[in-house]
Amino acid sequence: MSEQKVTYLEAIGQAIREEMRRDEAVFLLGEDVGSYGGAFKVSAGLMEEFGPERVIDTPMAEAAIIGSAVGAALMGMRPIAEMQFIDFITCGFDQIINMASKMYWRVGMPVPIVIRGPSGGGTKGGPFHSSSPEAWFFHTPGIKVVVPSTTYDAKGMLKAAIRDNNPVLYLEHKLLYRLPELREALPEDDYIVPLGKAIIRREGEDMTILTYGAMVHQCLRAAQVLEEDDDLEVEILDLRTLSPLDREAILASVKRTNKVLIVHEDTLTGGIGAELSAILAEELFEYLDGPITRVAAPDVPFPYAPPLEAAYLPNAEKILSAARKLAAY
Amino acid sequence: MPTPVKMPRLGESVAEGTVGAWLKKEGDYVEKDESLAEIITDKINAELPSPIAGRIAKILVQTDETVAVGVDIALIEESADVATEAATPQAAPVKSAAQATTPVLEQKTAAALPREDGARSAGRSKAGSAPLSLPLPANNDRRSEATTTSAGNGARNGHGEEERQRISPLARRLAREHSLDLNEIVGTGIGGRVRKEDILAYLAQEQSAPEAIPQYATPAVFASQPSAPSSPVAPPHPSVGPTQVTVAGSDEEVVVPSRMRLAIAEHMVRSKRTSPHATAMVEVDMTSIAKWLEKNKDEFKRREGYSISYVPFVMKAVCEGLRKFPMLNSSWTEDNKIIVRKRINLGVAVATDAGLVVPTVYDADQYTIAGLAKQVNALAQRARANKLTIQDLQNSTFVVNNTGVFGTIISIPIINQPNAGILAMNAVVKRPVVTEDDAIAIRSMMYLCLSFDHRILDGAGSGGFLQTVTNKLQSYGREIDVY
Repeated sequence: MSEQKVTYLEAIGQAIREEMRRDEAVFLLGEDVGSYGGAFKVSAGLMEEFGPERVIDTPMAEAAIIGSAVGAALMGMRPIAEMQFIDFITCGFDQIINMASKMYWRVGMPVPIVIRGPSGGGTKGGPFHSSSPEAWFFHTPGIKVVVPSTTYDAKGMLKAAIRDNNPVLYLEHKLLYRLPELREALPEDDYIVPLGKAIIRREGEDMTILTYGAMVHQCLRAAQVLEEDDDLEVEILDLRTLSPLDREAILASVKRTNKVLIVHEDTLTGGIGAELSAILAEELFEYLDGPITRVAAPDVPFPYAPPLEAAYLPNAEKILSAARKLAAY
Repeated sequence: MPTPVKMPRLGESVAEGTVGAWLKKEGDYVEKDESLAEIITDKINAELPSPIAGRIAKILVQTDETVAVGVDIALIEESADVATEAATPQAAPVKSAAQATTPVLEQKTAAALPREDGARSAGRSKAGSAPLSLPLPANNDRRSEATTTSAGNGARNGHGEEERQRISPLARRLAREHSLDLNEIVGTGIGGRVRKEDILAYLAQEQSAPEAIPQYATPAVFASQPSAPSSPVAPPHPSVGPTQVTVAGSDEEVVVPSRMRLAIAEHMVRSKRTSPHATAMVEVDMTSIAKWLEKNKDEFKRREGYSISYVPFVMKAVCEGLRKFPMLNSSWTEDNKIIVRKRINLGVAVATDAGLVVPTVYDADQYTIAGLAKQVNALAQRARANKLTIQDLQNSTFVVNNTGVFGTIISIPIINQPNAGILAMNAVVKRPVVTEDDAIAIRSMMYLCLSFDHRILDGAGSGGFLQTVTNKLQSYGREIDVY
């Protein structure tokens, strides 16, 4: 174990550096990733170590970034494509949906690319710099979607994503980048966190909360209050990988606690929670002791005004009140 | 949103019903109150009128299938134009839709009961003002009084009705796995919902006290309660209770009781468990009535078109007894109170081919002897023709049972719950009797056997009642005015 505690952001940088050292096929491309070191400084120092041919500054054109990455992957490379803000991934939508995710299905050639970038709100970034785009890709077969919530997972899952032969969308939450509480001493040895495995962040018998990303921390706060004030033991299952979902872990937990609260920062309709609800209703109807309940952002674009943003985002208070209602059902 | 049509509750202790036949098929359009299906229950068969006008979207329960009361049996899509058309001033379709979505409420069931054509408009106009409209009986002569009856019942039903039990899917599964009667379990969730912890607590409590009071010991005073028969006899619902298969020996035969037989069995066992029965008997000199009947019976029949027997005489006397001793016209309630009924509704036991039914003569004390004879005749005819309505089978406050027709001289009846008493009349037989002036004379004698709920009253009350009845029956002289 390293003595030095690193941030979530530094852990992502470490993962890229270590993988580039390990495998010459791995390279990074994106806007300002090279000489500037990335808008959030994720790739600081990488150009110095690996040179401009493996850390490539691109034009402001996401379709080109992702398209080049897909082409490179078809030629045997393992590119990491950075979106400066994940909101702009929409510009590269066609390359992801029609190319990357379907290539192996069409021609039998794997596309081992990682598309990563900062997602999520809470930074007063407004509608173009705060979004959570996971549901669009969650819906698409052929691409994995991962959402790390801790520093350890950020590094281990990025390494696993880079080594995966499928296209992987790796969503970093920008609010977690430099969060002091998330500073962690990481193993010095090479490690990965396998994709497709959820993890129980907190054990409990009274209710399961299914969540991922930054919301894990809001749920942990709410669970603390529920234990102290309401004598409720809430289990928190951090999904970590949204596609493919760890159905086994989800069903096992809910089968045990019989009540389920689903929390995500993305908007409600057609979100990850909708699919989770359907799975639970189909598989565990007779194990449910209360309605499947969702806490999510309202179905409106992300607001810019700080008071509106505060009202928009799910938080520990909203989770708390939904959990209490469900517990009393 | 299609409106569900639910299996109606056709009788107080009836927990389920069978679809005898569908009179409409999927896709058919129906008017409000148009007959949808024939429903067969333990007690009566009835045609089920549509709660709303619309198109039958789906039939959920097929012919000959039996389901619990309150279960959806079909879905009807309310067609906007039909609804508007039917929307007489009081916005009837809205009301009926609301009723239809409230499951197992008695008033809904009542509203879904068959109405005779003439009574239809009356029922609809009444629905605007009264909270519920009860079915009007078939007999034209009784229409006016039945209207008052339904008003009176409105109050009672409103008080005794129960909403559908709330229960989580998990709790429902657990209850099924442990063969629990959900009616026994008190829910602690929002709105009284039964949840996992309620089932677990109930099981834990059962485990710690295996000898606890049996479930069926709760006095089921209000038969209107939609509780499934928690019967110690083989329950009609196969999933309730442990199943034990009876096998016939070489010289035996297994008879599967009819649904009516099962209902009777359940009621009898429940009554015996609910009320501590005490029985008192008196001997009545029926000579004057016997002579009058002998002389006038045939002519009465010719004149009135229906026959007269000892029964209306006894009923008349019973009404007088109940007026004087109202505690026999009461019910012991679940919360240990006594409800004294101000109306005297006499149940009359009628033997039919299928079994015993006890239809009610409402406000029996308001009739003359001839009037009672007429009512009893009409009810008996409807019973044997399987035409009794739910109204006919409810709300009796005391029962008169004539086992004498079978020649018995003494019989000890079982109370018709939730009544306080039941009187069995026996055969009138000629016997040598020592008269008041110490002579021996041949008199027509009859034993009356009263079974009463000893929780409610004691020997003094029951004895006084019997004395009143006896005196009334013996008060007649040679000429009797039965009108």
